[in-house]
Amino acid sequence: MIRVPYHLRREIDLLWLLTQKEITLQYKRTSLGILWSLLNPLLLAFVFYIAFVVILKIPKRDFPLFFLSALFPWTWFSTSVSASCVSLIANKSLIKKFPFPKHFLITAGVLSQAVHFLVSLPVITFLVYYYGKTAHGVWLLGIPILLFIQFVMTIGVCIAISVITVYFVDFQFIVAFLLNILFWVSPIIYHLETIPEPYRLLSLYFNPMTSLMSSWRELFLSNRIYWNWIFIAFLSSCIVFLVGYLIFRRLNTRLDEVI
Amino acid sequence: MSEWVVDLNHVWKKYLLLRDRPGFKESFVNFHRFLKKREGEDHYFYALKDLTLNIKTGECLGIIGKNGAGKSTLLSLMLGTILPSRGRVIVKDRVTPLLELGSGFHPDLTGRENVVLNGVLLGLTKEDVLKKMPSIIDFSEMEEFIDVPMRTYSSGMYLRLAFSVAFHTDPSILIIDEVLSVGDEGFQRKSKEAILKLIKTGTTTVLVSHNLQAIGGLCTRVLWLDHGEVVAEGDPKEIIESYRKKMA
Repeated sequence: MIRVPYHLRREIDLLWLLTQKEITLQYKRTSLGILWSLLNPLLLAFVFYIAFVVILKIPKRDFPLFFLSALFPWTWFSTSVSASCVSLIANKSLIKKFPFPKHFLITAGVLSQAVHFLVSLPVITFLVYYYGKTAHGVWLLGIPILLFIQFVMTIGVCIAISVITVYFVDFQFIVAFLLNILFWVSPIIYHLETIPEPYRLLSLYFNPMTSLMSSWRELFLSNRIYWNWIFIAFLSSCIVFLVGYLIFRRLNTRLDEVI
Repeated sequence: MSEWVVDLNHVWKKYLLLRDRPGFKESFVNFHRFLKKREGEDHYFYALKDLTLNIKTGECLGIIGKNGAGKSTLLSLMLGTILPSRGRVIVKDRVTPLLELGSGFHPDLTGRENVVLNGVLLGLTKEDVLKKMPSIIDFSEMEEFIDVPMRTYSSGMYLRLAFSVAFHTDPSILIIDEVLSVGDEGFQRKSKEAILKLIKTGTTTVLVSHNLQAIGGLCTRVLWLDHGEVVAEGDPKEIIESYRKKMA
């Protein structure tokens, strides 16, 4: 058996404990606990079904599946980003008292949201079968790849935002606004095909969310992996991560003076 | 074993004075001014000025000085929670802080959950904390309440558990900021004895206190800080005496 060095084992433990803490605290004092992570998306699917299929009677019968297959991954991203705005300030007492890598707090936040996302996957599977489609073995390849790409991208955004908000508290309101815009310019509630031609490529190349969200949707709806989209998403996630990391490193050195 | 464990070399720590901290609005409106570096010395407060210090293995160093002399800044630098503005800090071993006990606890987690998180934050693996759990609980005398959310604890119970975790992490460098009294009388005696035992058995200790008698009785060397600078350093008796004269 390989012996993992002590300090590394300790850091893995710490990251996991911080993640666990985020998850337990979210549902602390509730009776259903983590079940809410399953129940919430399920209720959301139900609301969409009533609104779009029963009341609005839109021609696209499987619209709830279409929308939710991109909305759930988007929710993982957006809740992580909004949470990262306050995560350093909220954990000020830990930062001031214990020497540990501060980005663990951010990573733990993104990981805990990833757990909520994973718990919502059965809802998507259920909808897939409800609309007469089937799950496919290719999911087992596609889901880990997309999870990884989105994880890297989200971390990149979150670590940058978390330190910036310490210096400029106002930034969190700007983030909320930008998230809203990003939601509407990304193909989440509509299909990539519906964007008129010159803008479609623009969106695909310059909005990392476009390739990522479209990849999730195609994976769940048509059991296919578009490798060129995945490639674009991977490349942009690396760029986002790098930029985010550089901002974090730059601002991190003087963080203790302002927090 | 190496001869020294902590080394500070010409360390400065400055803080931007809060009144000069540019707001978001200001940085937008006066963007040109925001870009300009504010290097004027009057914008900064120096918590430590050109401090050089070397702590040997097994030494017990006492730090005295008025409020705002830079004692806590110095401790935080050794702990690694803040970085020097200039200079270099090298710490060769794991530092266990006994400051603001219990501030790492979350009120909505149970005592047991908090002990595990705190122990790992203090440098142990989860496995090790779980191994020590029985003796942590035993020392704190909290077995009845260990699986109850900590928001139901009294402040004394908070401190007991916090001290017990810190004490059980096998400190190699101990940093103490005026915490020689924890909990009720019985526990106070117990915690004091535990600390004394650690110091006497050669655990490197840095002790900040306004209790000059305690400093004189425990420390092998004393550092007197004032306005971020070293006033005097050396034999506890001499320094405490001149400090007393100055204060009187």
